Amino acid sequence: MSPNPGQLGLLTASVIFFAVGGVLSLLRVFRHKPGLRLPAKICAYVGIAMALAVLVWHGRIRGSWYPLEDNFDALIWLGVLLALFVQYVQRQRPLGGLDWFIMPVVILLLVAAGVFGQISPREYIDSTWSIVHRVSSYGGAVAFAVAGATGTMYLIHNRRLRRKTVRPELDFGSLERLERISMVSVTLGFALLSIGLITGIAEVIHLGQYTSLGINRMTQPKVLLAFAVWLIYALVLHTPINPRMRGRRAATLSILGFVLMIGALVAVQFMPGGTR
Amino acid sequence: MQRLLLMGLNHATAPLEVREKLAFSTTQRRCALRGIREKFPGAEAVILSTCNRVELYISRPTHDLPRPEQMVDFIGRFHQVHPDQFSPHLYHKANVEAVAHLFNVASSLDSMILGETQILGQVREAYDLARSEQSAGLVLHPLFQRAIAVGKQVMTQTTIAEGQLSVASVAVDYARRIFEQFSDKTILSIGAGKMATLVLRHFAQLSPRRLLVCNRDLRKAEELARRFGGASAAFEQLAQHLVEADIVVCATGATEPIISVELFEPLRKLRRYRPIFMIDIAMPRDIDPRVGELEHVYLYNIDDLQQVVRQTQSQRNGSLEAARRIVEAEVNSFGQWHRAREMGPLIERLYAHHHQMAQEELRRTLNKMPELNESQIAHFEDLARRVVNKLLHDPVQRLRGGQMPHGLQQTYVHAMEKLFNLDSPSTPKQEDDAAGPSAT
Repeated sequence: MSPNPGQLGLLTASVIFFAVGGVLSLLRVFRHKPGLRLPAKICAYVGIAMALAVLVWHGRIRGSWYPLEDNFDALIWLGVLLALFVQYVQRQRPLGGLDWFIMPVVILLLVAAGVFGQISPREYIDSTWSIVHRVSSYGGAVAFAVAGATGTMYLIHNRRLRRKTVRPELDFGSLERLERISMVSVTLGFALLSIGLITGIAEVIHLGQYTSLGINRMTQPKVLLAFAVWLIYALVLHTPINPRMRGRRAATLSILGFVLMIGALVAVQFMPGGTR
Repeated sequence: MQRLLLMGLNHATAPLEVREKLAFSTTQRRCALRGIREKFPGAEAVILSTCNRVELYISRPTHDLPRPEQMVDFIGRFHQVHPDQFSPHLYHKANVEAVAHLFNVASSLDSMILGETQILGQVREAYDLARSEQSAGLVLHPLFQRAIAVGKQVMTQTTIAEGQLSVASVAVDYARRIFEQFSDKTILSIGAGKMATLVLRHFAQLSPRRLLVCNRDLRKAEELARRFGGASAAFEQLAQHLVEADIVVCATGATEPIISVELFEPLRKLRRYRPIFMIDIAMPRDIDPRVGELEHVYLYNIDDLQQVVRQTQSQRNGSLEAARRIVEAEVNSFGQWHRAREMGPLIERLYAHHHQMAQEELRRTLNKMPELNESQIAHFEDLARRVVNKLLHDPVQRLRGGQMPHGLQQTYVHAMEKLFNLDSPSTPKQEDDAAGPSAT
């Protein structure tokens, strides 16, 4: 179901709050204004609350509380989960700069929800395979977003350390921690993506290899990109066996995987025959 | 009259590559001081050599040797480095400028890390060494004693050293930017000297899994390791230790790099490409700079760390200004004291000369007045003495207490000697070097 103007307005307000929170966070560091920490945090929480309100409103109008029933719903969930992850990490053991890398992705996802959710609403298919497929695929995407963000942070931090241009106010934590978060995210994302791929294949078997328009479901860009992402993260997970891969290479691959994952998500929107 | 000369280079004027070529070890300093004494018997000398600076302080009679170019030549010959390679980085100061420089150095105002206290110990060590070699004399003794006192005064009377960042603390901070936890890390110290001890003291607080101290002198290594709850390691098995280590602190007195790229490159595979943080605080450097270009290696030398310290250092309070005021006052005070001391013999000669003249004239007059009794003669003698004292009072006061520059002071001294025909105790040997670049 397409979102109504009120939901879109609320979503826009949520995006604005996230954006203002991000700007305040940057100002806090670069203008040395520690007092901006609280307003930035409040903005992020208000943004999350508004996005959740949109989900509730949308679910209520739809008459169903199942998540990920359409693009609008799915992309907002993705954004909210990422935003919650950032807030969780920053509350437990702050990692400087994490929000700068993940919040833009959150904003992009919410904007995408507004754009794609409105233009191309998806039909919900009530099958267990489909639910598992969607949950695991989107869950994997959240994990890969985190891996991509921490991978980027790793590369920047590593470059600064090697060039000896570390700025005290830009504390990205330690390389070891970034690497660990990245590896945990990749491991989790890889497991979820694997489940997503298996359930996707099962769904293809269940529905038949060709769509009603005669398109081969297995060679669709979304599927091919998802396989590429899976392969890339399989390589990243290979790091403990082949330590030569660790560090910069693993971080670069994590970013590449995330970019392809975004590609897969975008490809879904333009695929003929819906999400499947 | 004595002339004080300073020839040197520091972190601001010379890159690490130049400084390490000219650095003096303790043994080399002893040797150099003896060399100066043999070559220039009239000169006093102190050599201050730290990782940030190499400075040669010379005091000698105004017309004596060495001249500045001879000092440059001496440094070059000693290290077998052609002067062209380092002379563009040198600074040359004389007299008051040299005094001010030394006081600034001892107060850490000339340090890369403002407020660092280590330099005071290094100045004291340089002075002690010169004293033990008997190369510090009438000028350099009081000068260095006063410099140490000024350094102490600045450290205690200002807040300059408070909340101070040190190379060691910055190294630990950088280690934290690379590693998250240290309970599974091995720290290896190569060298067991003062600098290694200083850095290890900070790293030991991270509670690493293992702390190894590797030194050619195993006894020293054991001693240091025991102090921080670590273990000593054989220097011969350095490669093996490098495989195990996550953090390496290098601070030996070796003149050639201990860890070359050829040694370390093959070890990376054995290390399973684990990141390694290498801190090279030795002078000359212990680690080939090319090692730092290898993947997973984070190599920081003394300049890198000090640069960070300087960048992050707070110069927010007025302590810097207060420290400068102390130094300035002390330079003036030392200048006056020194001038008075230098003028002493001249003024003595001046008075003696004039009193002698007055006495001679008085005797001549008294010879023509035989009717005078003893009391009257005493009155005349007193008169003559008072006239001489009155006449000399103003010029002497001006010579003693004035704020005149050293060059002008010398001119006055020469003028006095010539005008009043006073015998100078020093015999001119060479043309004055007052035309030197920083002569005052």
